[in-house]
Amino acid sequence: MQDIRKWFVKPHDKGRGSVSKPENSTPASAKQPSGSELMEDSVQGGEDKSRKKTSKYFAGKQNVTSRKEVDELRTKRKTQIGTEQNPVKKILKIDDDDDFVPPKQSKNISDISPKRKVRNDKGRVTAQESAHITESDEEIIEDNETPIKRSGRGRGGRGTRGGRNAVAVMEIDEGQENTEDKEGSAPSGSGSRGRGGRGAGGTSAGGRGRGGGGRGGFMNFGERKDPPHKGEKEIPEGASDCLSGLTFVISGTLDSLEREEAEDLIKRHGGRVTGSVSKKTNYLLCDEDIGGRKSEKAKELGTVFLTEDALFDMIRASNHSKATSQQDQKKTVPKAAVVAAPSTSAVRGVKEDVVSKASSKSMTSKALTSLSSPVKKNIPITKQNSLPWTEKYRPKVPNDIIGNQSLVKQIHDWLTHWHENFLHSGNKKKGKNQNDSVNKKAVLLSGTPGIGKTTSAKLVSQMLGFQIFEVNASDSRGKADSHINRGIGGSTANSVKELVSNEALSANMDWSKQPKSILIMDEVDGMSAGDRGGVTDLIASIKVSKIPIICICNDRYSQKLKSLLNYCLVLNFRKPTKQQMAKRLMQVASAEGLNADEIALEELAERVNGDMRMALNQLQYMSLSMSVIKYDDIKKRLLSSAKDEDISPFTAVDKLLGYNGGKLRMDERIDLSMSDPDLVPLLVQENYMNYRPSMAGKDDDGLKRLSLIARAAESIGDGDIFNVQIRRYRQWQLSQASVLSSCIIPAALLHGQRETLEQGERNFNRFGGWLGKNSTIGKNFRLLEDLHYHILASCTSNLGRSTLRLDYLMLLLRRLTDPLKMLPKDEAVEMVVNFMSCYSISMEDYDTIVELSKYQKHQNPLDGIQAPVKAALTKAYKQNKSLTRVAESVTIPGMRKAPKKRVAAILEPAEDELAEEKVDVLADSDNESSSDTEDGTVDEAKQLQMDLQNLNAKGMEVQVDLKESNTKKTGAGRGRGTASASASAKKKGGGLAPPAEKKGGRGSGSAAKRKR
Amino acid sequence: MLWVDQHRPKTLDKMIVHQDVAQNLKKLVTEQDCPHLLFYGPSGSGKKTLIMALLRQMFGPGADKVKAENKTWKVDAGSRTIDIDLTTLSSTHHVELNPSDAGFQDRYIVQEIIKEMAKNRPIDTKGKKGFKVLVLNEVDKLSREAQHSLRRTMEKYSSSCRLILCCNSSSKVTEAIRSRCLNVRINSPSVEEIVKVLETIAKKEGLQLPPGFAARIAEKSNRSLRRAILSLETCRVQQYPFTPNQAISPMDWEEYIFEITSDIMKEQSPKRLFQVRGKIYELLINCIPPEIILKRLLYELLRKLDAELKHEVCHWAAYYEHRMRLGQKAIFHIEAFIAKFMSIYKTFLISTFG
Repeated sequence: MQDIRKWFVKPHDKGRGSVSKPENSTPASAKQPSGSELMEDSVQGGEDKSRKKTSKYFAGKQNVTSRKEVDELRTKRKTQIGTEQNPVKKILKIDDDDDFVPPKQSKNISDISPKRKVRNDKGRVTAQESAHITESDEEIIEDNETPIKRSGRGRGGRGTRGGRNAVAVMEIDEGQENTEDKEGSAPSGSGSRGRGGRGAGGTSAGGRGRGGGGRGGFMNFGERKDPPHKGEKEIPEGASDCLSGLTFVISGTLDSLEREEAEDLIKRHGGRVTGSVSKKTNYLLCDEDIGGRKSEKAKELGTVFLTEDALFDMIRASNHSKATSQQDQKKTVPKAAVVAAPSTSAVRGVKEDVVSKASSKSMTSKALTSLSSPVKKNIPITKQNSLPWTEKYRPKVPNDIIGNQSLVKQIHDWLTHWHENFLHSGNKKKGKNQNDSVNKKAVLLSGTPGIGKTTSAKLVSQMLGFQIFEVNASDSRGKADSHINRGIGGSTANSVKELVSNEALSANMDWSKQPKSILIMDEVDGMSAGDRGGVTDLIASIKVSKIPIICICNDRYSQKLKSLLNYCLVLNFRKPTKQQMAKRLMQVASAEGLNADEIALEELAERVNGDMRMALNQLQYMSLSMSVIKYDDIKKRLLSSAKDEDISPFTAVDKLLGYNGGKLRMDERIDLSMSDPDLVPLLVQENYMNYRPSMAGKDDDGLKRLSLIARAAESIGDGDIFNVQIRRYRQWQLSQASVLSSCIIPAALLHGQRETLEQGERNFNRFGGWLGKNSTIGKNFRLLEDLHYHILASCTSNLGRSTLRLDYLMLLLRRLTDPLKMLPKDEAVEMVVNFMSCYSISMEDYDTIVELSKYQKHQNPLDGIQAPVKAALTKAYKQNKSLTRVAESVTIPGMRKAPKKRVAAILEPAEDELAEEKVDVLADSDNESSSDTEDGTVDEAKQLQMDLQNLNAKGMEVQVDLKESNTKKTGAGRGRGTASASASAKKKGGGLAPPAEKKGGRGSGSAAKRKR
Repeated sequence: MLWVDQHRPKTLDKMIVHQDVAQNLKKLVTEQDCPHLLFYGPSGSGKKTLIMALLRQMFGPGADKVKAENKTWKVDAGSRTIDIDLTTLSSTHHVELNPSDAGFQDRYIVQEIIKEMAKNRPIDTKGKKGFKVLVLNEVDKLSREAQHSLRRTMEKYSSSCRLILCCNSSSKVTEAIRSRCLNVRINSPSVEEIVKVLETIAKKEGLQLPPGFAARIAEKSNRSLRRAILSLETCRVQQYPFTPNQAISPMDWEEYIFEITSDIMKEQSPKRLFQVRGKIYELLINCIPPEIILKRLLYELLRKLDAELKHEVCHWAAYYEHRMRLGQKAIFHIEAFIAKFMSIYKTFLISTFG
């Protein structure tokens, strides 16, 4: 209380204005008055002396206004949200009236300066925004000059960290002139504060409102409730480090920010955001106590609750403290008047920038710094700007190289010992060394671009005093002319050859005096069409080389380099960590006079995915437009130009369907799905029903989930249709649509928590089952096709494939298995074998039939068949092999190779039947006519048959070259006639004997007859 | 030999069912030149039998001397050559093949084979016909492109070859082709006809058929003669002598689909859907064509379904079947149908029974 009173009292000490200021700070930081209540007290109550004074004073002149003001403020406060937690709100004095009498400039400055000292450096900001009241009455100008400290402090009551109370002073003092009444604060403030921004309410924020908070949530499917006042509040700008060292946890729905935005905001100002509450957590950011786990934990640990508004205040507060500091900078310039003009212009520039959405803040500070110390840093930059930074900051000594130090050491060792190993003592122990991995004659450095392979190679070589010859992709590296003694014909390859074989250049003379040479073959995996035989030539060079060779490549698993690997010591460079990179980037930044913070640079390092060169390039580019680089800038800048990473399909599906899948941006989704446009859809299809969609919300009976699944399934079907269009009709422009419907829409509908559907299943995404199943289906179709073909070839039936499967298969199976189960062994086996031979079903087909009739949890058709019976069947089948009629490809002596096409038997089907029934006259005549020729050819046919039986081929069928068999074919056919005649005779006698027995087998053009 | 093959009528005169059609065909080929023919009708109604008998009528027993051949066609398709394997069944007078087996390359087959046949025009000896016959099965499964290329070649080479097309549904054959052919609709034999056939067979095989047994088989066969004969033989294998109320076992896959439908009706949940997916995969692995699966599934579902839902479910089945034809991965669409059905059915259950 006391200090408040002092605040009111002090102004009355005339002439002590500036002197009294230091005192301001002391009480302010020592005690924490809590805002307007105290003030009200001080205004209303009348207890001690000083207060009397105050009240007297105010009673006389200003009390009315002041109280009115207070009331106003209080009501205003009430409307604000979350004041309970945060007793102090910005309380701002409004006096924009232009008819104020401006205070003197010098005074103004002197007023401000002490406050700056009060400014808190970092961390918790006590949002103490005092309004500076300037009275219109001339006489009390000086009295009232001092700001009335009305505000309390944000979170002050809980002061867990001492001495952190910032007194952010909002300066609303009039400028030198009425027209420029805001001059004093504008340049110093965030700069983003436009004139209009400072409304009558004196809202200190006024910052640029980040486009209504519209970043982030593009295509946010469901997930969390939208903030109730989304985008309605202006998001403040503050000093970039104002939250540094603080850890936040966000819980629940905030008032106006999406969670992502809030995280972003905090990070931008240097804070950390973690996922769960721990001891280290400073604040729990939430607007409503939803009583979740986070808030419980926070209560337990005594973590401070923070509302969104309070957070804004913290950030804003930092702004003002900064403002004062910057004004202080101005003060260092001797003449205030001189400063005034340029600074106003700076302000104007700033304002324009606000409109253009440039990073106005940094501009302001830049403007200011250039004002205050115009000489300092621009000169060296301009001097050296001609060099790209990647060249300029290329490491000068091996220790500068980031990461991979052990590899650098290895190169170093290898190089130092090279000459001893290969030149001097090389002749003696050559044989031994050849296979020793350490003593390879060349090294191969591999690694992704931009991590310093070339640099390391060069540095080490330089350090050891080698003269470097570098050959890279820009040189032609084809095969050298074989006759090197013709001299260098201008081609690089030849000069390389010359180089490595030229002893004069290297060692054999007194090599200690001569500069030693080294050959660096850069980008060896880039040897392409133009460099024919390049790698082979390189290997040859390595073999004869008198100088060390360092090869550099990106992909060491490249097919081209396979042979090279055997001759090289392979060193694999790894990506440096982001901390390492950030450290180095920081050095570069400070050397260039860039003001960049650690988090920003780490972000940069992460975005470029380990590529130092890219990071430096980005940094240099950004340095052109700004001198302060913040997290935000990096994020914005590299949003599009981030380096691609390899994403495995599993990761992609995890991300898409995962709980946070709804937060991904559309382009991210497309990237994820496109990472493997064949596999990702299959994975999605396999796993989509395992997710409990967060979109369904409360869904007791699972109805919503089912309907979502139905929609997703339909969309996946769409994807399949698209895919057909793409593949079959080459409509590749549809690939995005395909990815959209096969991955993104299902994922958008169903993303959520994964659950298992089967007992004992691991809760990870399964690999798409379709591929495996499809190949099984294909295999089975081929098997079925074989069976079909065999049956067709038997000429007993003329059926389609699907008919075979749908109608015949079951009966076939019964005919093939049931006898084995029921009848005695020998009888059964004979029956089955006869049946098989009738339809020319092979043993493989038998298995096919069984296989295709198997179902899970159904009885295996082969159950109940005893093993000996099965064995007997196989045996009987093999013995009766000649029964089967289908031609497999059989090599016949005299033919170079088996004809590719398989030719099946020709038969006269059912001649016997015809004979039996005597219906078809035509057929009879045909038979007769054939029997005419029969006698002549029978012998021939038999001869042929004998020959064929000698063949130890698969047996039953033989293909004979059509040229020689044209005549024989008919002969054989006719020959068959007699056989069948006898068969039919037998059949008549046999009565019900299975008709199958009657048929002899026959190949095309030859017959392999069954012996009776 | 299976009865269904053994007792297949070999000549037009011996047809038991479709005698009128057979007689007409006989007149057609004896009196005058044969036009292109398009046989269509449900499976098991006797199209193939008629065609074979017709060929025999036209060419005599020479048409029966067939050989099966797995032939590789080399086709020039613009810049590259494509190898297509296809099984053909040919005699000197005719070639039979199933072009839809070549998948979406079927149009090359259609063009190529017809051209080749036109080249090797048979010599007209002994008053035999001066043309070959090309029998194309499953024309309804031919792609649009193949059907279009077919229609041109049909006319161009009509002097040297005749086409006999065979399919289940003429609606999937383009108008242009239908108008170039003589359409012969072969309808399913009636139950009485089937019973008659079964009795003939039983007599030939010397079996005692209990009264009403043949009728039951005929009922179960869904008016497919082939199915009826096969199941008669199946019953014979299972148990003989027959008893009047002997069980007639359904096809293995039909049984399995029946199980799937009862699964679906019992519970509608993602878990169940997942299990059903596994079962559908199994059917597919056992080479059951996806269209048949979907059709049968609908059939089984409709039998159990409330009348109120039938219309809607039919609509969705047709919708997904169409999409299945457009697409390639049949399981996706069958699954989508089941998911849709589950969603509809569950909504219905909850709204009716709370």
